[in-house]
Amino acid sequence: MSTDINLLLRTDEESLKQKRRIKILNFTAVASLIGVGLISLGIFILIQIVNPESLKKEQEDMLGRISQFQNRQVKLFVLNNRVENIEKILKIRKDLSKAMNGLLAKIPSNFSIDTFEIDDKMVIIAGQSNSLFTIGEFINNLTDMVRNKEIIKSLMLNSLVMDEGKNTYQISVKSEM
Amino acid sequence: MNEKINADLKSLKFILNKNKVYIFPIVVILVSIMLFSQFVIPQADALLAAREEALATSLKIETLKANLDILTNINEETLDSQLKTLSLALPLSKDFFGILNSVYSTVQKTGVDLGNFSFKIGDLAKSENGDNFPVVKLSAPINSGVTAINSFVETISKNVPLAEVYSVKIGNTSSTVSLSFYYRPLSASNYSQDVRISSISQKGLELISQLEKFENASSLLEPLVSVATSSAAQ
Repeated sequence: MSTDINLLLRTDEESLKQKRRIKILNFTAVASLIGVGLISLGIFILIQIVNPESLKKEQEDMLGRISQFQNRQVKLFVLNNRVENIEKILKIRKDLSKAMNGLLAKIPSNFSIDTFEIDDKMVIIAGQSNSLFTIGEFINNLTDMVRNKEIIKSLMLNSLVMDEGKNTYQISVKSEM
Repeated sequence: MNEKINADLKSLKFILNKNKVYIFPIVVILVSIMLFSQFVIPQADALLAAREEALATSLKIETLKANLDILTNINEETLDSQLKTLSLALPLSKDFFGILNSVYSTVQKTGVDLGNFSFKIGDLAKSENGDNFPVVKLSAPINSGVTAINSFVETISKNVPLAEVYSVKIGNTSSTVSLSFYYRPLSASNYSQDVRISSISQKGLELISQLEKFENASSLLEPLVSVATSSAAQ
């Protein structure tokens, strides 16, 4: 009789392995079920804590209180709107009086202005004097302004004539602003 | 054939019997996985959404509290006075009364000889835009010398409503000063109760103070000033 063959022992080993597998599987099943339940409960509790509904109610209460001051809110809105727009206007608004003051200050006292046209792009001055020196002084003053980049950036002589009848020199100049 | 089917059923039964101890736990695990995907994941999404909503609502509440604080502490009489000054300077609509007041008060102050003038209104439904601001244009014929006209231009620039002199033509026989008077309708698109409001800035207060010193502003503001002082006296 051979003593090498031991079928009973192998059967016991397999049976033990199977039992272990079943144990692990059962444990996993129970753990997964409990785990899902606990996670779900945890999330439910967190949602209750966060509670956006109570905050919404608080927001509505605040809106209700603010509505009593609706008038003031509208007035303040209009006021800030006007301030913003007026500041913009004062920045972009052209100031021709400044340019006019600057140019008129450069006109010699003996020089009589016949026409003076000014806008934001150009200025045309036509005048006369019985002194050629005054005419020269007028041109020099405007040339200096161009050189110093003061108010005007160019100077063009349109005409320079002598009126023998009146004994005056008439000049017309055009400048770019 | 029947013998083959019977054989298949028998073998199935045999397999089931052999592995029946595994069936229940596997089914439970599968049910857990299904419950997790069907309930827990959507719940987690709901939690994230609730948190975001709560955060947004909290921020809105903070803004509303700050707004309420400003609105309760504001003096309404001062607010009305400031608003009147600013509305005189930049009316919400074409203010022909204000424009005429500005022109005639300037004429009175500078002593120029004003001829008949007209507004360049054009299509009443449309507005002319000067530098993106709607304007009412006016050409004023003036029979005065260069110095007087210069004074007119200077003075009207310091009047309300705000105006811009865009052209001056001085001639021997006649002169014309062309002006644009600004106005600006209110756009309510930026208005919302949830937006944080701010009380008037220091720059705004300085602007109002500057405008109140404009040549014709005090005469236009007078009725409001006298009401404010009489109510203060009470």
